[in-house]
Amino acid sequence: MTEVTAPPRDGRGRLLPRESDPTAPMLQVTDLAVRFKLAKGSLKAVDGVSFRLDEGQALGIAGESGCGKTTTALSLVRLLPANGRIRAGRVDLYGIDLVANDESQMRRYRWREISIVFQGAMNALNPVQRVRDQIAEPIEIRLGKSQTAARARAVELLDLVGIPKQRGLVYPHELSGGMRQRAMIAMALACDPKILIGDEPTTALDVMVQAQILQLVEGLRAELGLSLILITHDLSVIAETCDDVLVMYAGRAMEQGPVSRVFTRPRHPYTQALIRAYPNIRADRRTLEVIPGQLPDLRNPPPGCRFASRCPHVMDVCRTLTPPEVRFDDGVTAACHLYGTVSGDGSLASDPGAVADGAIGAASGPSAPAATADDDAAYGDGIEDEDRSPGEPRSADSLAGDQSRMIDRAAHTIVDERQHGDPEQRA
Amino acid sequence: MTIDGGTFARRVRSERWRLRARRLRSTLHQFGRERAGVLGVIIIAVFSICALVPDLLVGPFETVTKASGESFEPPSFQHILGTDELGRDILNLVVHGARISMTIGLLATIITVLVGAIIGIVAGFLGGRVDTFLMRITDFFLILPTFVLALVLAPVLREVLGESAQVGGIRITLLVIIVVIGITSWASTARIIRSQTLSVRERAFVDRARVIGASGGHMMRRHILPNVTSLIVANAVLVFAGSVLIETTLAFIGLGDPLAPSWGQILAFAQDSGAPGLGAWWYTAAPGVCIVLVVLSFTLVGNALDAILNPKLAGRR
Repeated sequence: MTEVTAPPRDGRGRLLPRESDPTAPMLQVTDLAVRFKLAKGSLKAVDGVSFRLDEGQALGIAGESGCGKTTTALSLVRLLPANGRIRAGRVDLYGIDLVANDESQMRRYRWREISIVFQGAMNALNPVQRVRDQIAEPIEIRLGKSQTAARARAVELLDLVGIPKQRGLVYPHELSGGMRQRAMIAMALACDPKILIGDEPTTALDVMVQAQILQLVEGLRAELGLSLILITHDLSVIAETCDDVLVMYAGRAMEQGPVSRVFTRPRHPYTQALIRAYPNIRADRRTLEVIPGQLPDLRNPPPGCRFASRCPHVMDVCRTLTPPEVRFDDGVTAACHLYGTVSGDGSLASDPGAVADGAIGAASGPSAPAATADDDAAYGDGIEDEDRSPGEPRSADSLAGDQSRMIDRAAHTIVDERQHGDPEQRA
Repeated sequence: MTIDGGTFARRVRSERWRLRARRLRSTLHQFGRERAGVLGVIIIAVFSICALVPDLLVGPFETVTKASGESFEPPSFQHILGTDELGRDILNLVVHGARISMTIGLLATIITVLVGAIIGIVAGFLGGRVDTFLMRITDFFLILPTFVLALVLAPVLREVLGESAQVGGIRITLLVIIVVIGITSWASTARIIRSQTLSVRERAFVDRARVIGASGGHMMRRHILPNVTSLIVANAVLVFAGSVLIETTLAFIGLGDPLAPSWGQILAFAQDSGAPGLGAWWYTAAPGVCIVLVVLSFTLVGNALDAILNPKLAGRR
């Protein structure tokens, strides 16, 4: 069998699907919209979300429960529940539009290109099958290897994620939660995918194990050149692991950009509230900050900004017009009227740079207190360098410092629980 | 990373056996705590020995037909369970009857469980129209009366296959009984397996297998079946008890094979000979007690297995 043209390869020389365009971005999601059909009407679970993932990059998707994080990720590989449909948008993997593919074509990309570490490792493992055999399963099915070869490879994968060979022979209930999660990661890596989606991979694990798992994922990312999409409601996990973050609320992207910039200088009121709601390690607080109100009904979402009903900075325009995405100089995008100058036809002024400049000017003015002194006081725990201008790139050191501080916060939460929390939680 | 194939394979094998032995020990230990289940196993073991080696206990099958005593002799040292109207030893009859009764029970159970499990898993897993179609068929068999079906089927099969035909060493009349029991009891098994399949199907690991690209057959074989096996086993044991009971009834009403006397057939002989009226209680008591004991012990074992294999019941002990 001879190929007329050499098959396309990615930056690391790995084979790509034949139809792919090596010059296209690895994963580009454009205006993704997902609907769930309900008995009465339909639920707009994801509405116009766009993001891009490059090779070796890690993207975190953050947001509260029901904001569409998991739905977004599952729709990338079209694993939505039976009543879910992708209504609009594109998911381009190396220039191949996955949305246009039918189920059998889609199957080719799952696990080979994009694989998933599922939410809740116990449920995703068959209780009556040996862990090793379950990891061998995709290798057998997708790569057509013999059972012996697949099992040998499964043992290698187990070794890679730090499970001793012998432990592969046990059944899932004989493994600890962390081990199970490692097994799930091993399974996700079975077909050497390029993108790994972690759907709450560390939820329900204690902090120590969580740290181990994240370390493992980090290590694998460096070692195997994986790209990562991490879905979590735990901001510290994203701070520790990801390059970029996408903050979602009620099915829309609120803010996205490099983790360090978004977390140290959140621009969207929702991001600000979300970060404020995170327990602070230094503040002497006995109560948690909450965001008042609740998610809008997504069967019939209100016009304008989805966060308008809970936003402290809400303006009249927020209730009528969908906020445009404003791109700032430092690569952060926020969908908020606080920063947007909206032209007459409702579209954003064409030059993003100009808008961003204007927006930052506006942000420091008294009319828009969002990203200024107010907030610095709110998380005045040293996480914000006061004298830094928003567009300025940060040094690696200060970045790492910030991230470790985020982790400290997580650790502090646990300490808090030990002291004040109920005894059941400790057990 | 390389693996030293030989040593590793050996380690894997030894580890696997160690795990298996441990698991078996723990299951046996659990079973040991189910007193009633242990009693059931002991009774079944006794009857199994009768069924497997009747010749060693009471002599070969030919001796059954030999009249070794007077008509209706009550139990004595010579004839522990007395004799029948022709002077044949009833102990001899009953021991040889064990093989016939239990063979019929076993084969009927195999048919029932095989058909029931396959239909149940396929219907439950595929769902939709296939499910509806298969379940309507199941409903039909669920309401099918066993005895009417046996009365209709017995002469038909005999006509088609010939009076003295044998299939795999089993006489045609016995085969009719086996088939009739199978046909009338698989439906409830299918219902039970289907309900469990419906629940297993929704578990995340089935979705995971689908994502990986596993075919429907693969998912049913590798993921659904192993997860409903415990239910199949527990159900099979109970089906066995039911099969023995149905066989008895069918033989008693005259659908059995007089040349292959099962316990039900012996009861029918007793009835025909007027033993109850003549006060020959031993003639009916012996096969009757055997039937009750076997059915009871299988039910006990079935319940014990259910208690061990069903994780929801396990917590209650």
